[in-house]
Amino acid sequence: MPAHKRVLVIDNGSYECRVGWHDTKEPELRFRNVLTKPRKDRKKDNSQATDALAAHAAAAPEECSKGNGEIQVGNDITNIEAVRAHLKSPFERNVITNWNHQEQIFDYIFSKMGFDGKSSIENPIVLTEALANPNVCRRQMSELLFECYRVPAVSYGIDALYSWQQHQRAHKSVQDALILSFGYTTTHVIPVLDGRMQLEHVRRLNVGGFHIVNYLFRLMQMKYPVHLNAIASRMEKLVHEHSHIALDYQEELLKWAQLDYYEAHIMKIQLPYNPVTASNALLTAEQKQEKRRELAMRLLEIKNRREREKLLEDEQHLQLLRKLRQLYEQQKLQKFERALQQQQIANLEELDKLLATITARIKRVKERALAPPRPSKQQDKLDKLPKPPEGVPQSQWLAELRGKREDLLRRKQARQQQRTEQGKRHTHAAQERMRIISTLAARSEKRRKAEEEDDGFGMNDNDWDVYKRINRYNDDSDSDAENEQLLEYEKILNHYDVSVDDAQNAAMQALSAAENYQLHFGVEAIRVPEILFQPSMIGCSEAGLAELIAFVLNFFTGEEQQRLANHVYLTGSCAQFRGLKERLSKELMELRPFQSSFAIYESQDPALSAWLGACLQAKQGNFRETLTTRLEYEEQGSEYFKEHVASNNYYPTPKD
Amino acid sequence: MTESTPTNGGAKLKRTFKQTFAFPKNCVYRPLRQIQNMERNQKLSPEQPTYFTLNAPPSLRPAKKYSDISGLPAPYVDPHSKLRFANAEEYASMQHMPSDIINGYLTLRGYTSAVG
Repeated sequence: MPAHKRVLVIDNGSYECRVGWHDTKEPELRFRNVLTKPRKDRKKDNSQATDALAAHAAAAPEECSKGNGEIQVGNDITNIEAVRAHLKSPFERNVITNWNHQEQIFDYIFSKMGFDGKSSIENPIVLTEALANPNVCRRQMSELLFECYRVPAVSYGIDALYSWQQHQRAHKSVQDALILSFGYTTTHVIPVLDGRMQLEHVRRLNVGGFHIVNYLFRLMQMKYPVHLNAIASRMEKLVHEHSHIALDYQEELLKWAQLDYYEAHIMKIQLPYNPVTASNALLTAEQKQEKRRELAMRLLEIKNRREREKLLEDEQHLQLLRKLRQLYEQQKLQKFERALQQQQIANLEELDKLLATITARIKRVKERALAPPRPSKQQDKLDKLPKPPEGVPQSQWLAELRGKREDLLRRKQARQQQRTEQGKRHTHAAQERMRIISTLAARSEKRRKAEEEDDGFGMNDNDWDVYKRINRYNDDSDSDAENEQLLEYEKILNHYDVSVDDAQNAAMQALSAAENYQLHFGVEAIRVPEILFQPSMIGCSEAGLAELIAFVLNFFTGEEQQRLANHVYLTGSCAQFRGLKERLSKELMELRPFQSSFAIYESQDPALSAWLGACLQAKQGNFRETLTTRLEYEEQGSEYFKEHVASNNYYPTPKD
Repeated sequence: MTESTPTNGGAKLKRTFKQTFAFPKNCVYRPLRQIQNMERNQKLSPEQPTYFTLNAPPSLRPAKKYSDISGLPAPYVDPHSKLRFANAEEYASMQHMPSDIINGYLTLRGYTSAVG
């Protein structure tokens, strides 16, 4: 294997994959490490694809394959928001578990990097993998790379350590560090002493950027169940741009609890909305009616056209049948029989019947066309609507109606209230009910004793209401009339209200519609990333970041702890949260001994430093020593890989 | 970049770098849990760190209690819905919440009722 080959560096992260040549400044290819198989109408797609093929045969292979509903990867996904629910990732946490998906992604990578049409891949590869990647997974990765893609050699490394190498360029003498790597699905605390990772003391918190975004999504989803679809696509942006880590979470929360602080700091996000309701309300009654009339006209036209077509058809049919009849009359029986068969008519009687029905139908249609148009039902309805009585101004009459309606509603509500209260025991209403029942019972007993003696109960119609009051299942059976009246009132009011509707009202409506489409983003800005420090907030029992750092440091002697604390290094995309460094220094201050020193360094490019570090290693003279070649793979087994300073440790699986 | 020669017919030219290769059926997708079981059965030496021994330890600090709705510190729990709340307004708003939202908040916090 010649040493001068360019090296393909792949930082295969669970959020984003970065691919590029080792001698370039930045990766040529960056894409979300996901794929999707668009579900489309297969038939339609196929016809489209063949059309495309016919049109420009080999000129657009790309388009053809897309049209076929083929799997789309990374940046090829045309509308990532639309297929959000169908996105698939080869990862489970930070480990690759789905090899079909990984193969698709490799296909995509190698195609995009210009291997299409080449018979083999001749460049060595640097590939990042999970820290302490299980042997099974690495074995499958090697099999995939060496068997399927026939790569000449591969070097596996850990992203956080590559990033650390990149950082070491500026801090050459530093050999000890505590690396905090903030990933999409996991957060690692990695102690490094004398340039070597202390693998047995590494700890991984299974909370990362994904959990943060998802937490915000779920919170917003429950806060605004109506805007579910609009929310989903905005969460990532909110987390990336508007969330930060609180220096003192409890204190910040107490601030948010104050109303004026809330008012001053709340962020309101206006969702796009269709001001349909507003514009509808702006239309005057006449305009509305005009629209309705137009619609009716259009429908009528369609109906007329259909009738005319039918008429034409019928007339043609009639002529045909008449000719048949003539054949019979001219005694051309043989011809007549054959023609009957062709028309699927049994005999002469049926033919006559058919003739009669069709002529009748034509006659009917023609008559209808001549008749004057019927008065529209709309007008009828309008005439039927009650008008304000003579001498009373419309507004006063309407106000009266409104009052009546309110009254009815109130009564209805009161009944409802009483019913629910009666349902519960120990309420006043329930006790009252029991009291009435007992008095009624006592009375009827008395009546039975004293036979004729009448207390006059039932003389008055209202007396019977007492039964209504004690009936727990008293639904609206008796208030049906009331309901009807209510409907009537509402109909009238609706009709006249439209005509008295004013522009101001409409504007108000528009405003409130806009407000209905607003998301309030307040406490969430600090609440969401806080799960890194308090995983218990999402029901995760693992120790939070600060506790975890203390836990890892405790593995070491006091002197080693100091060496680690002197260089705490933050890397990974999630390290870009505002306030993370400040928060960590506060936490370290709390957990380190009094007056001891520590220092926190942030990666210059948290997202890319791993890729850059891997390139750095590929440029070094001893790079070939880190490569596992195909020969070695074939001889040592698929599990084998070369250890190097940024790699995992090789623990062969015990044979049994 | 190699230019595709039109005579070959574009689509066929794709992925010439690949060999026909397929994983055994049972290896194509292995959930993490299954990998963990496999490693457990391998009887590795207890000192050897694996992916699964590197998990963060359970937290020993008492979990702070926050309102499910607003995230503010929550001194109260609604005994009926089991939601935590910070003040009376939140309690009032909880009374009109549909049960799926209540359950959503509870599962988000990882609350599982004793009944299941």
